[in-house]
Amino acid sequence: MKALEVKGIVKQFPGVLANDSINLSINKGEIYAIVGENGAGKSTLMKIIYGLYTPTSGEIFVFDKKVDIKTPHDAIGLKIGMVHQEFMLVARFTVTQNIVLGDEPSKGIVFDYKKALSEVKELSEKFVLKVDPAEKVANLPVGIQQRVEILKILRRGAEILIFDEPTAVLTPEETEDLFKTLMKLKKDGKTIIFISHKLKEVMAIADRIAVLRRGKLQGVVEKGKTSEVELARMVVGRDVVLKIPKAEAKVGGTVVSVRDLMVKSKRGIVGLKGVSFDVRAGEIVGIAGVEGNGQAELVNALIGFTRPVNGTITFDGKELRVITPFNIRKKGMAYIPKDRKMRGLVLPFRSRENIIMGQHTLYPFSKNGVLNSIEIDKFATKKLEEFDVRPRDIHTKARNLSGGNQQKLILAKEMSMEHKFLLASQPTRGLDIGAMEFVYHKLIEEKEKGVAILLISLELSEIMGLSDRILVLYNGEIVGETTPDKTTEEELGLMMLGLKRQKRVAQ
Amino acid sequence: MKDVLKRIVFGKREKYWWMNALVPLISILLAFIVGAIFIKITGRSPVVAYKLLFGASGLFPGPYWKSHFAEMLLSSSMYIATGLGFAIAAKGGLFNIGAEGHFIVGGIAAAYLGYAKPFAGLPKFIHLPLIIVGVMLAGGIWGAIAGYLKAKRGIHEVITTIMLNWIALYLIEAWLVTGPMKAAVETGVSGTPYISLSAKLPKIFPPTRLNISIIIILAVTFLVWYLFYKTTFGYEIRTMGHTLIFGMEAPKAAGINVERRTIQTMFIAGAVAALGGAFMILGVLFQYPPIFEGGYGFDGIAVALIGQNEPLGVILAGILIGALRTGATTVQLAHIPKTFPSIIEGFTVAFIALQMLIRYWIMKFVMRKKKSIQSEMGGGAK
Repeated sequence: MKALEVKGIVKQFPGVLANDSINLSINKGEIYAIVGENGAGKSTLMKIIYGLYTPTSGEIFVFDKKVDIKTPHDAIGLKIGMVHQEFMLVARFTVTQNIVLGDEPSKGIVFDYKKALSEVKELSEKFVLKVDPAEKVANLPVGIQQRVEILKILRRGAEILIFDEPTAVLTPEETEDLFKTLMKLKKDGKTIIFISHKLKEVMAIADRIAVLRRGKLQGVVEKGKTSEVELARMVVGRDVVLKIPKAEAKVGGTVVSVRDLMVKSKRGIVGLKGVSFDVRAGEIVGIAGVEGNGQAELVNALIGFTRPVNGTITFDGKELRVITPFNIRKKGMAYIPKDRKMRGLVLPFRSRENIIMGQHTLYPFSKNGVLNSIEIDKFATKKLEEFDVRPRDIHTKARNLSGGNQQKLILAKEMSMEHKFLLASQPTRGLDIGAMEFVYHKLIEEKEKGVAILLISLELSEIMGLSDRILVLYNGEIVGETTPDKTTEEELGLMMLGLKRQKRVAQ
Repeated sequence: MKDVLKRIVFGKREKYWWMNALVPLISILLAFIVGAIFIKITGRSPVVAYKLLFGASGLFPGPYWKSHFAEMLLSSSMYIATGLGFAIAAKGGLFNIGAEGHFIVGGIAAAYLGYAKPFAGLPKFIHLPLIIVGVMLAGGIWGAIAGYLKAKRGIHEVITTIMLNWIALYLIEAWLVTGPMKAAVETGVSGTPYISLSAKLPKIFPPTRLNISIIIILAVTFLVWYLFYKTTFGYEIRTMGHTLIFGMEAPKAAGINVERRTIQTMFIAGAVAALGGAFMILGVLFQYPPIFEGGYGFDGIAVALIGQNEPLGVILAGILIGALRTGATTVQLAHIPKTFPSIIEGFTVAFIALQMLIRYWIMKFVMRKKKSIQSEMGGGAK
């Protein structure tokens, strides 16, 4: 039995053909993965199925019946549920309140919280998804929040569950838990559509895999009859060498030197407990660690968002008493933020306006405080070409770019500024292979130019492949320092979890 | 023509650029319709009321048109000033409720510089510019206080600007005007003394009261537009305007000195709004009275909202509100209170607040039209 079938779906956005006559047919009770680069049209297709977009043309069949999905409400009525990339939860509400939101059990006109509690408990037992129904969502780790999302759509009776890049925000352990859940749901006869660009995960979980590229369906393959390499070729459209090109480090003088740095987190807890390290010109220092072990505090202190409690930061031989983003940028620091939307770009601004942010006061972009739009346009056109930002139109608003292209725009902006130090905080977060490869090449290029690079990443393969030295951050401390050739991913993994410590050579 | 308009006014490359103009127009239209319903309910004739209102508004030729027109522009210039005061701050992501305070601070500064001894004897071409500069400084500093508190202490500007409004009001009315700045008793004047001849704004349309205030404010509006869209300063405050209220930090991370820009933005907003107060004193009242009927500051918020915080929009909205106020007294002939235009103003703002909905309706309409054209063409092909 077909759970979901789409025929000839076309979605035309102004200037972009996001979906080009896509045909898919998904069987009941299978895990069906859809992979593709950022901007390949995966999310668009799912939003069409979930009623967030109306297709330009094409037909949708749910359980062999032709349907017309105009709003998410229609989709829910047809037993389609979606777990969004960004969770739609109210942080101050409890798990139960969140799950029943929009369809609350009631006693007369009063919300029956007790009944809701027991309902949620029952639901969580039925699907073996453990949650504490009375806990506030704000206090839950991301993995559990996702579970709440899943329960929410199960409660609405969803038979077809769409997961839009569910692992993007999860730690490896949480990902494993999620996969167990998915297998369980499959056993219960649910149909699962799994959107991702992480091929390893897709190979681990999916029964069949559909590949999209630039809005077109490249083919549907069965897991048993394909390999990661073949999938990668289909996704990118050419052979991909995921091996990171190694470049010899020509190490120069120390650019950034951090001593006994102690920083409080936004909540007022000491998140970074006195770390010391140096970053020298022409080397990449990788910081490995599970998210939330002091990375955010380190970044905030370096860029001047938070004032350290203790410790010193020396930039280019000078100790900086007070760091503000303004003065450290002036001294020559580039920063690739992990959150593109919050810190990287001004979303309603066009590419041409975004690309000069931070260097807009410099000649030739402006003179005596007056912007020179001809020079800005020239520069933007050149940079979009150089960094392969699609679409090439310098008047595209950043909001309308796909994630990968937003990231390229940030790279273009940051790397064209004069800098000696590059702080790259999870630079490939949420990127597809093609864009990742691009970022790696750019980082290596920077290194060869003699820039000192501090790379903070959650991906071990990235740390191992790019870094010249590796520091492991655990619970706000550096618990190990090593080099890629002296260690393994397993050893790093142990250190990241705090199970192994390594004596550091005193600097 | 359409193309030129599109490029100058609404920014290039915006696909539905006309939407930015259509939404306020529809809001205004809806407000008038609702207003008409109100009049009808109370048993009067909307047609008569609107005829009277617009007849005396100065927007359309008719009896006494010249003087209505002059009066309209006179008050419009003040509304544009306070409207800009709100719009400038809004472009930088700040919600400036302080135009009322800036307006009266500007007024008192103008009055003082207009009558006080060392200045009063100066020739006009020195005295008048001097007053304008002084007024803008006074208003600017008043605005910058709120900017400083926001930037350095994190106190929300809505709270500080409202408080500063009251502080300004009581400083002026309870102390300055009745104390140190009071006119000598023997002159028989209440409030401050009258300003010297050299401080009065030159009239440009005798015999009406219309003076150069409208020209000044149009020039200032142009400068504000230039500042917004052509300078690095404007670029920076626009980055802030698009991010600050959502808690995004991109401008700060890019090295823009957000704190300093906040203070400067509030300074400029205060300085421009204060000009409105100066226009009132130098062109209409010629002294600061003991009790000052204000409200221009708060109407400025409406003007900015109707004008979508764009300089050209603020001019048009300022003229609309000015016209409504000018025609207001005549609606009494139709037995409608003269505060009626405030209802129209209020509804317009309410509909502007619903602009996402209006945009959605328009888009739906456009899409349906497109679809029907497409299907017609498709049908023809078959």
